[in-house]
Amino acid sequence: MYRLQSIRKCYGSNVALDIEELTIAEGRLYTLTGANGAGKSTLLSILAFLSPPTSGEIFYAGERVDRKHGPVEEYRRKVTLLHQSPYLFGGSVDDNVAFGLKVRGIRGEERRRRIDEALDVVGLRGFRDRKARELSGGEAQRVAMARALALKPEVLLLDEPLANIDRETTGLFETVIASLPAQGTTVVMTTHDPDHPGRLNGESIYLEGGRHVLRSLR
Amino acid sequence: MDFLVSSFASALRLIGSFSPDVFDAVRTSLAVSAGATVFAALLGIPLGLLVGLSDFPLKRMVVTLLNTLMAVPTVVVGLLVYGFLSRQGPLGVLGLLFTPTAIVIGGVLLASPIVANYALASVRGADPRIVPTALTLGAGRFLAVGTLIGEIRFGILAAVIAGFGRVISEVGVAMMLGGNIRGYTRTMTTAIALETSKGEFAFGMALGIVLMMVALIVNLFLNLLQQR
Repeated sequence: MYRLQSIRKCYGSNVALDIEELTIAEGRLYTLTGANGAGKSTLLSILAFLSPPTSGEIFYAGERVDRKHGPVEEYRRKVTLLHQSPYLFGGSVDDNVAFGLKVRGIRGEERRRRIDEALDVVGLRGFRDRKARELSGGEAQRVAMARALALKPEVLLLDEPLANIDRETTGLFETVIASLPAQGTTVVMTTHDPDHPGRLNGESIYLEGGRHVLRSLR
Repeated sequence: MDFLVSSFASALRLIGSFSPDVFDAVRTSLAVSAGATVFAALLGIPLGLLVGLSDFPLKRMVVTLLNTLMAVPTVVVGLLVYGFLSRQGPLGVLGLLFTPTAIVIGGVLLASPIVANYALASVRGADPRIVPTALTLGAGRFLAVGTLIGEIRFGILAAVIAGFGRVISEVGVAMMLGGNIRGYTRTMTTAIALETSKGEFAFGMALGIVLMMVALIVNLFLNLLQQR
């Protein structure tokens, strides 16, 4: 799905990420581990096409992503990033989950069905008309997950999705995340929990000081 | 004290009797302030958003300039515009001096920096996750900025109301560029200044009460919107 070659991301003189080569295969689940400041979030941001690398090349589905000669929106619509502390827009739960669907021109019954399905998956059936800002922290996390799932992205990037959530939501999210590769979705998630690769049947990518130093396949 | 009480009672009677002089001034004030606010919003909101959302050399200087422009005395703005619109001025041929349009032009110059600064403050105070969230959900750059504006809409609305407040409450521009012509360019503030100097304290107080009521209504409207 991705091939990264000689990717470097620098902030001034500070090298946040320096990866010689990294391949992420389609329909697999990867956990991205490493200490704080190892470059995990920087890598996710690059994979989400939110932030360009300072140098190097990214290939997505075999195509070289060239920001200078075309917009990256096309790629961005295939990939969704869920932040550790997601932002919910003002308005209802429905408005939030519908946002990305509207952007993609999905209307009417199809949009309604996708929203209902996504809310069902995260256990929030009946929450469509609730005000997003009045939800609890756990409910807000679930809405953000539903908002990402409704898009049926080719790649779902998750920035510490299991941090700061209650046990019930953790179990639910683990089940949902583990089921995604079977549906064809590639998942890359950052985590500090060394058990996650095993529990989620995923492959581990380990970063240290911005460098990709270890990869283990279970 | 009796003077104040009797003047207040007379002021209420003037308002209650729908005095044409009072309501002409109110109408002119509202019209020129609304006109100036619309143009100030059209200039100030994009300017504030542009400065807030982009990085460019001299940005700090532009922000300082915008802050400074907020503090420019109204008579200085009046003087500047007077220079352009007076018969000998470069725009004198348009014959705009001592017309409501001249007050609107001055009002735009007064209110635009305020609207821009408030809009800029709203952008700076916005949650930094808004734009990345919109982008990762597939929005293009314009829609992401549109989403940001939607999320900070009350700050933007407050910017517009602050601009309106600046224009409706000022005297210098309205006096110098409008000329305080009865029934034409006489605004609430110029009427208060003139009538009070003539000893018509109750008349001035009546307009003062209306001015306060306008401020109250505008702020109630803002509060109502924020609660929705």
